[in-house]
Parts: sequence; structure tokens; C-alpha cells
Amino acid sequence: MSSHREAPGIANDPVADSTDLYAFVSPDQPNTVTIISNYVPLEAPDGGPNFYQFGDDVLYEIRIDNDGDAIADVIYQFKFHTTVRNPGTFLYNTGPIASLDSANWNRRQFFSVTKVNKHGKSTVLGSGLACPPCNVGPRSTPNYAALAQAAVHSLGGGVTVFAGQRREGFYIDLGPIFDLGDLRPFQNLHLIPSPATMGVDATKSVNVHSIAIQVPISDLTRNGVMPTNAADARATIGVWCDARRQAANIKGEPIGPWGQVSRLGNPLINEVIIPMGKKDFWNVTDPAQDAQFLSFVQNPELAGLLPVLYPKVFPNLAAYKKPRADLAAILMTGIPSGIVPGFQNFTGKIPADYLRLNVAIPSAKTPNVLGVVGGDLAGFPNGRRVMDDVFTIELRAIAGVTIPLVDKSFTPDGAASKVSDNLTPAADRYIASFPYLGVPLDGYSTPSA
Amino acid sequence: MARLTRRGFFRQTTISAATVGAMASVPGLTMFLDSPEDPATEISPGAIAGPLVAHIRDASTGEISLLVGTRELVFRDTDLVARLVKAAL
Repeated sequence: MSSHREAPGIANDPVADSTDLYAFVSPDQPNTVTIISNYVPLEAPDGGPNFYQFGDDVLYEIRIDNDGDAIADVIYQFKFHTTVRNPGTFLYNTGPIASLDSANWNRRQFFSVTKVNKHGKSTVLGSGLACPPCNVGPRSTPNYAALAQAAVHSLGGGVTVFAGQRREGFYIDLGPIFDLGDLRPFQNLHLIPSPATMGVDATKSVNVHSIAIQVPISDLTRNGVMPTNAADARATIGVWCDARRQAANIKGEPIGPWGQVSRLGNPLINEVIIPMGKKDFWNVTDPAQDAQFLSFVQNPELAGLLPVLYPKVFPNLAAYKKPRADLAAILMTGIPSGIVPGFQNFTGKIPADYLRLNVAIPSAKTPNVLGVVGGDLAGFPNGRRVMDDVFTIELRAIAGVTIPLVDKSFTPDGAASKVSDNLTPAADRYIASFPYLGVPLDGYSTPSA
Repeated sequence: MARLTRRGFFRQTTISAATVGAMASVPGLTMFLDSPEDPATEISPGAIAGPLVAHIRDASTGEISLLVGTRELVFRDTDLVARLVKAAL
């Protein structure tokens, strides 16, 4: 998926498995940026009695680079701890949970937020902050939306945080990808053809655990500026998230330095760009070391497979043998000025996988889920919004749609602009205000089967 | 020394000696902690409140990695490694 279970190692460690990362200028708070990092892939809403939560032994981080060296200048760290009121019952709750301090809620989780500046100085912004419960069902968690909203915490200084279960925002027609790239609507043209069928929204019935933070733009930019000119180099920030575990676990007790076990910047990179033998290694490396992965971006395996799987459908792509400078720009350096009118998110020559957000570009009043490719400069790959159709955008880019941005001699195949997951996510997957991802599905109404 | 990761810690181990809590009572600890070869390990045993783990990735090098809290200290003590290997056999 986007980055759900994308590598063999982290697939066995869901609480540390970052699934999606979003970074965008907040549509309702235009002087702020919202960053959301999601964990715990594919949560079945009825997954009790041990409903999903963050890892108490995991250090979660959101990192921001504001000077293009691929090294974090601002870090937000999140640590969790769990308390159990009554260890004598197997129940998650012993009655309706009407408030975050409800005596009926048996297993609660709290978190702290620490900001680390570029000099390594740490400042605790908040601690003992309550997470909401999971959405169990109408008897256990009535009025869930309000309950979860109570877990939105203002930390002062214009910083707002939330950590807890939300509706999965990422959508994709997943099955065909791994079924030998049997992309709808081209099944009849596949090497092993089949009748055309409608797209399947593989993630429409699952939840996820989100860490969301909204901060003033000036908290993230170089020298604390508030850029208003999109061409200003200081307007672009790089954003990625990581999860860390201590080096060893001896008889249930973690010990030793924190080591990175998962990271995420752009969607689908470790999923479909990085080869199997490098996936676990990619997860433990830093963006500053990404030059070693650049060749995988410049020569994506999927771009070579499309003409093979769909004979005569992608002849121009098949004939294109140059390294993909378009993908390298979109994913690894940002797009320089002069390529897309009115837009740039270039961070310099150091190749690094992270979201690049130009904070001087205001949010769109009528967003296009295809983002910059669809003429909406406020969407992916200018950061990433919760509703952006990143799968279609990246698939079309890999199929050659974006090559002319850097090579005018190339004409994309007609099919390249038609590949799509053909999905329109339900409106309730998102909300208009922080934390923007929708109310999670409840376990009573949404059985995993 | 190569950076440790959670999985790599166990996967790469050829001989691993782990002691939780009681490492301060191991004979010879003070001697090697006072070793002038590794001033980074100058920690009085009483100052260690929590568990302490010694990790030996390759006994032939005599190198020991000490995990204390969220820190890692690396030093070399071939005699201690030899004793631990003997105890493990």
C-alpha cells in the first residue's frame, strides 16, 4: 500500500510501521502546517478486546528539514504509556465511555510531546495527554466524534496535537497491483487478460492510528520566516517521520540507544521503488543517505514492467531509456522553479526522500485530488493532503506523464494519463478541521469479515 | 563498530552475553571500567540505577558493547570476554 507492511521486517512490527505521512498548509488555519503520521496498518474496527494502540516502547518522531541538507532542523517526538484500571477483567471497557476520564474505560493511553531544535535542545511541550479510546461501538463509545475531539490538545504557542485512532484516509485499488499489475481499466489488454471490472477500494473498511500536529508555519521554516512568495527558497520544508526502538529487549525490558526501524516520506517509495533486498535497510537509513537509492528512483522497476505486461500499450515508455530525471525531481530533490508555472519545492541537490511542502502556496478552495498533475499546486507532490490520490499520481508519473517536464522530446503514451485506481473515497473519510482524517469506523457496525 | 539495530542486534550475534541488573557484581568490572584505554567507560558501579547489558558480537575481537539506559558504550577487554565465553560453554 502507501507504506503499509511495505518491508519484510517492519511488517512484523505494526505499532512501529508508518503507513502514511501527510503535510499540508491547514485549510482552516492558513498560518499553520498540519503534519499527520499514521501507524498500525489495516486495523479491523472490531479488533478487541485488545484494541489497537501505539507502542509504549516506541519513540515516534516527525522531522523537518528547512535548509536542504536532509538533516532535521526541528524534531517533534512522541512517547506513549498505557495504564490499566482493572487488571482483573478481560474487558477494554466495563460500561459506556462518555469521557476521556471515564471510570468505565479500562486500558487508557497517554502521550508526551517533545520538541528538539537543531542544536539538540529538548523542550517538553506537553505530557500526560490523553488519547481517545478506539471506536468500539455505539454502546461502549457513544458520541464518538465528540469523545475523540476532546483528545485534541492545545499546547500553547499555536501548537495543537492529537494521537489516536482515525479512519484510514489512503485509498487504493490494491489487489490488482500485486496480481501481476492487473490494472483496471486495462485488464483486457494485460498479458493475461480478464474482463473489465470496477475498481475496489481496498482500505475503505479499516482504521489507523494517527499522530497529528498543527504548528505555526514560522515554527518550521528557516530563521522562522513566514514566506509569502512561492519562489522563495525558504518557503519549502522537508518532512518525514520515523519510529525508533531501543537496541535490545532483554526479558521484556528495552535498553540501549534508540535506533530507527521505520521511516516514511513520499508515499509508495519503499513499497514499489525499493527492491526487496533493500527494503529493511532503507527503513533504518536516514534521508541524508538516500543518494545510494537514487538509481532505483531513476530506473523504476514498474516502468519497465508496464510495457511488458501491456504489450503495445506503452510503446513510448518502452523506448525511453534515459534515467528518469522527472521522478528524481518529484521524489528526491523537489521541482525547481521554471518547470511548473508558479511552483517550486526544490530543496537542493542532495537527494532525499521526504515530502516537500511549499508553505507559501495557500490551500486550494476546490482541491483536485491529482494535485500538481491536476493543476492544483497545493496538492501532492507539494506536501500531501489527506485526500490526494497519490497512487494515481505516482502511477501516471511512472507511466511517463511527467517525463515532458524535464524532457520535451518525449510524448507520453495515451494510456499513461488514463491509468487510475478509479476510486472516489466516501466523503466521511475526512473532516474539515484538525485532525482532518475522519471518525474511525466502529467495531459493532464494521466487522472485519 | 557497526550501528546496532533492534533486529540486527540479535541477528548478528555470534556470542551474546546479557546480564540484567547484576552486572555491577561481576568480578573485574571496576578494573575494566577504570581502564585508561577507554575513558568513556569511567562510570562508578553505584551510579548505574537500572539494568546494564553487555553484548559481545564477536568474541574474537574482545570487544564489549555495554547498553545502559539509552546509551551504548564500547570498549575492549579480552580477559573478561574470555571468562564470559567460558561461562557460556
